[in-house]
Amino acid sequence: MNKKATRTFLLGMLAALCLGAAFTGSASASPVWKFEGKELTGTETIVGAAIDSSLTIPGLTTKCEDFLYKLTISNSAGTGKGELTELPLFNCTTSSPVCTVKSIAAEKLPWPAHLTTVSASPYIVMESVKVGILYAGAECAFGGVLVNVTGSAGGLINNTTETATFNASTLSATKTKLIAFGESIEWLGVFPTEAFEWNREKALSVS
Amino acid sequence: MRKKLNVTGAVCTAMLAVVLGTLGFASSALAHTGEYAKFDFCPSTKAEVQKCLYSVTTGGEVVLGNKKVPIVNAVTLQGGVAAPAESGAEEDISKFFEATNGITLSKTPQPLPGGLLGIVPPESSPPLVKALSKFFFENGLTGVNSTLELAKPASEIRVSQAHIGRKEGVALKMPVKVHLENPFLGKSCYLGSSTSPITFNLTSGETAPPAPNTKIEGSSGKIEFLEEGRILRLNENVLVDNAWSAPSPSGCGGILSFLVNPVISSMLGSTTAGHNTAILKNTISIATAVAVNNH
Repeated sequence: MNKKATRTFLLGMLAALCLGAAFTGSASASPVWKFEGKELTGTETIVGAAIDSSLTIPGLTTKCEDFLYKLTISNSAGTGKGELTELPLFNCTTSSPVCTVKSIAAEKLPWPAHLTTVSASPYIVMESVKVGILYAGAECAFGGVLVNVTGSAGGLINNTTETATFNASTLSATKTKLIAFGESIEWLGVFPTEAFEWNREKALSVS
Repeated sequence: MRKKLNVTGAVCTAMLAVVLGTLGFASSALAHTGEYAKFDFCPSTKAEVQKCLYSVTTGGEVVLGNKKVPIVNAVTLQGGVAAPAESGAEEDISKFFEATNGITLSKTPQPLPGGLLGIVPPESSPPLVKALSKFFFENGLTGVNSTLELAKPASEIRVSQAHIGRKEGVALKMPVKVHLENPFLGKSCYLGSSTSPITFNLTSGETAPPAPNTKIEGSSGKIEFLEEGRILRLNENVLVDNAWSAPSPSGCGGILSFLVNPVISSMLGSTTAGHNTAILKNTISIATAVAVNNH
């Protein structure tokens, strides 16, 4: 092998090594679920109730006092995944004095979820979201109409407070949106992340 | 004395007539204020009416064969809406009730570009050419107005607030006829009739028309609540249908209709399904009958 050929071969090897390292670096950047700093193996169930949650169609905000959820989480192929299996919603009211919430329910469960990183911050993205809201009220313009909220929603995970926060900026950061009547709507929600099975009372983090 | 009594009687009768007339007017047109004024002609006191609808179409177009009529003058659709059916073929769909002033769909003429001769200068033409073309071909004699009119009673209209929101199914079903107006065409030149109407099955979602038309998409619009949730307004709502068919023109040219009808027909080209389009750009306001009656 002459000198030129050897140099070309070595440069090629170096380029391949650099590419490999870069690939490994981005793969390890995918966030995973961890308990006490250790990567979760198998599955775990997270349950909780929203600390605060509201959904706003321009001019009409709907709040639920009891906004519970049950999420099954696991790590798969180096990425944190999840499945929202239950989302019971109770004691819901609206900002309108004439509109009440006759019924509200999550539809087509389970909804898949996955973890992602945006600007070095961990996010959970809920997909295939579908919530049906039936408003009522003799003077409510939305009375008797089933409003479907559909789309996907990304929430910022805070490892210190062990919460996931959904708002306009987290939805924008994750390029997700919720739609009702063909338009993007606003969702505010802060959810605690607490394990309920094997890792109960262990600190949950995402990185 | 008898004469004086007669005069007094006549005055009393006239006053009574005025009072009764006023009462009659009041019963058919309840004067509401503010945002509710647009629902003045909603039959909100009718037991079956659950909601009032007031929709203004301010843009869009109706394409009939190879003639396109842009909507440049606002068209109003108003009336009452029943509670939606809970099951069956008309699930989520509501029956419609005529406006109390009888003007459920306003008869608003739209000028047909190019008029009777159908000559339309290209978009790139100089303004002078466009102005001359308009002067010669869209004047009182050769200019043609196209007016959408209801072909059947308002009770044949169907509305679905749910379908508008979900962007699926028929949001507004309306039997119409197109009135072509011009001194040469006479007063009875129509496409569609009460026995053979053009049926718009308008959707805020996607259409599935036969060829040569291709699918087009409407829009639910931007939702807005007014009066603390009592009035729902859909701004920039777009309802579309490009799968409807239109019958041949009839009654054009008066006694010469046997000659004129085929001419109009050939000017329009094929008006079978797949050759026509309706795109209605609307602002839709909805309130419950109770809310309207209380304001």
